[in-house]
Amino acid sequence: MRISRTTPEPEIPTSSMADIAFLLIVYFMLTATFAATRGLDFSLPEDDENQQTEIEPDDAVLIEIQPGGQVMVDKKPMEIGDQILEYLAPKLQNNPKKPVIIKPDAKSPYGYMVRVFDLLRQGKLIERQLIWRSKFPEISKEQWEGGKDLNISIPTQREIDAFWY
Amino acid sequence: MRIKPRHTQQPVIPTSSMADIAFLLIVFFMVTVTFEKDRTQVVLPKTDLRKEIEKDVAYISVTENGVIRVTSGEEVSTPVDIADVVSFASNVVSQFPGRPIVIKADANVDYEKVDKVIDSLKQAKVKLIYLLSDQKTVDSGGDG
Repeated sequence: MRISRTTPEPEIPTSSMADIAFLLIVYFMLTATFAATRGLDFSLPEDDENQQTEIEPDDAVLIEIQPGGQVMVDKKPMEIGDQILEYLAPKLQNNPKKPVIIKPDAKSPYGYMVRVFDLLRQGKLIERQLIWRSKFPEISKEQWEGGKDLNISIPTQREIDAFWY
Repeated sequence: MRIKPRHTQQPVIPTSSMADIAFLLIVFFMVTVTFEKDRTQVVLPKTDLRKEIEKDVAYISVTENGVIRVTSGEEVSTPVDIADVVSFASNVVSQFPGRPIVIKADANVDYEKVDKVIDSLKQAKVKLIYLLSDQKTVDSGGDG
């Protein structure tokens, strides 16, 4: 007697392929980190005693941050925002390289120093410059261009102890 | 004339392309993934200005309690004492010249902790540092 067998088509089982793939996706999604790597750049000055340029306190704008987060610009309390920028604009008009010193108190929260630093750095942004220019039409475009790179310094406590007077 | 009833097909969901889609997603995640060298949880300060930081960087994280962790970017971060940050930074500068150091500090930590870290980096002749931050949004504008 002849037995007629139906030979099944040979095939690769692919039904579990998607399961494996999605498992890998979940793994990579969980370990992935996106856009967490952004921040403010801050060039540290050379720690060279010969290059220390003496700055008269009157020649600089001093921004102090008090323990509670209160900001004092040249001993006057100010809000972090346009108020500081408006105070700075006429001072920087004559001398765009005027040093701006940020001096946070040892007990002030770090976040406030970053906010002030961020605010000053935004002076570079074109929109901000346009707002300033509408408020101070007497300032020429060239002076704004010159004011792009504010001379911001954040002395450390050791430097303050060594050089402050 | 009688029409033969049509041969009804079993309804199936086409799954053969599922694996293709899935593998495409895998490739995407594999290309974009960067394994975190430093997994310290901190509340970052919020800023408007945020610059892209390159991939090969060293990290120094400072938590709200003042615990400092460092990594040169090659290994997982390890807690260190504040006094050892100078030697760590010097090692980074000598082993990987030009590599920036990212400061990942909690927004509420006392500034003196960060001050000491920055001072150590200055002593180690680090040229460029980044202050890691989150995007400032309209409703978060008020708090530090």
